[in-house]
Amino acid sequence: MSAAANELVHELLVESLAAWRVTGRVAPAADGALSIAGARKDIRIERATHAIFRWTVAVDGRKRGAISLTAVLRQVREALDPSYARHRVRIAVTPLVPS
Amino acid sequence: MISEDAIPVSILTGFLGSGKTTMLRHLLRQPEFSRTAVIINEFGEVGLDHELIEASEDSFIELQTGCFCCKIRTDLALTLAELLGRRDEGRCAPFDRIIIETSGLADPAPILQTLMTDMAIAGRLLLGSVLTTVDGVNGLQTLEREGISQKQVAVADRIVLTKLDLAGPAEPALLGCLGALNTGAPVLVADHGRIDSNAVFDVGLYDLQTKSSDVTTWLTEESHAHVRDRHDAINTYAIVRREPIRAVALTLFLEALAEHCGEDILRLKGIVNIAESPDRPAVIHGVQHVFHPPAWLDRWPSDERTSRIVFITRRVPQRWVEVLLEAIGEEVADVPVDR
Repeated sequence: MSAAANELVHELLVESLAAWRVTGRVAPAADGALSIAGARKDIRIERATHAIFRWTVAVDGRKRGAISLTAVLRQVREALDPSYARHRVRIAVTPLVPS
Repeated sequence: MISEDAIPVSILTGFLGSGKTTMLRHLLRQPEFSRTAVIINEFGEVGLDHELIEASEDSFIELQTGCFCCKIRTDLALTLAELLGRRDEGRCAPFDRIIIETSGLADPAPILQTLMTDMAIAGRLLLGSVLTTVDGVNGLQTLEREGISQKQVAVADRIVLTKLDLAGPAEPALLGCLGALNTGAPVLVADHGRIDSNAVFDVGLYDLQTKSSDVTTWLTEESHAHVRDRHDAINTYAIVRREPIRAVALTLFLEALAEHCGEDILRLKGIVNIAESPDRPAVIHGVQHVFHPPAWLDRWPSDERTSRIVFITRRVPQRWVEVLLEAIGEEVADVPVDR
């Protein structure tokens, strides 16, 4: 992850915890990963090496792949926010371009 | 004393995202509405509705002063007086009808009171009818949560159900709630904003006597502190992007918003420069968990080609929304643009 991209994801996680009113501290690790501590569970987020996934999210050591940042957010919130009820929404079934 | 040629002022109200602008756009295309002046009151720092309405500019006024109900009522009286002045001096197309589209968060009571009592405009204007749109998808939930929405329904001469194309037939619970709030107003249905224009505004003067006792109380209340309290929990802001947004980024962004804070997105509307469609901007609308397929304008309404998305939310932080869009945009930056 580039430093700039890492900073952006770092800020996204910080702002997400605030938006969800969930406690936790987001901190960069020496190897470029991001960790969330001080919350219900310990979370580590890093770029995936597997071709299918962009990210790997480890919750209390258990690793899962995530195909996008939005998938990362979903996994993080599921881990930290017990009141979270997932609302998966399909926005468009057709390409988002004019016909 | 009301003059014989007094101009009727009709009120189009309804909660955020309930389809007011869509219906107004349809009505203004009808020949019988060609001599109509329009006042739109937007609640947001970047107004968009005026770009979505096709009306002659000289008989069109957009007010971005916040809700009428929370500002001094003279804002509305002055606006109406200015409109009459323009008409008298031939500075705008002659009109014989005025429609006020309120903000979705507007308490209709002070607006009605202004029209009924302000001496400067009394005599030349008369209160026409009050039309309230109700979202067939989210309407019941909104009525249960939002006191403003109940007021909007209670003062209506006509209630128009919208978005039944998404929701199917109106739910009995919703109809029951509407009937409890307003026994006298017929409930009409709009199909994608289309409705019989004769059925909506030509219904005579607003009659306070036919409304419930709650309405009478609201109209005579001097204090609207409870309304201000409600607004304090609501924040409105606009996200502006100069760079085009990839279609996939917008889709992921809207999906994340709906997933994480859908019920607190009271209203989202925007005009977006999609990278795959640089000449035809997308108009997006969302209410809570429901996002409508984008409408594609034939061209940009002005030389301004920035994406502007207006949010009216209940405590959804602006910075989170900004960073979310930025981060998703970065993530999909390597996705090829398919035009």
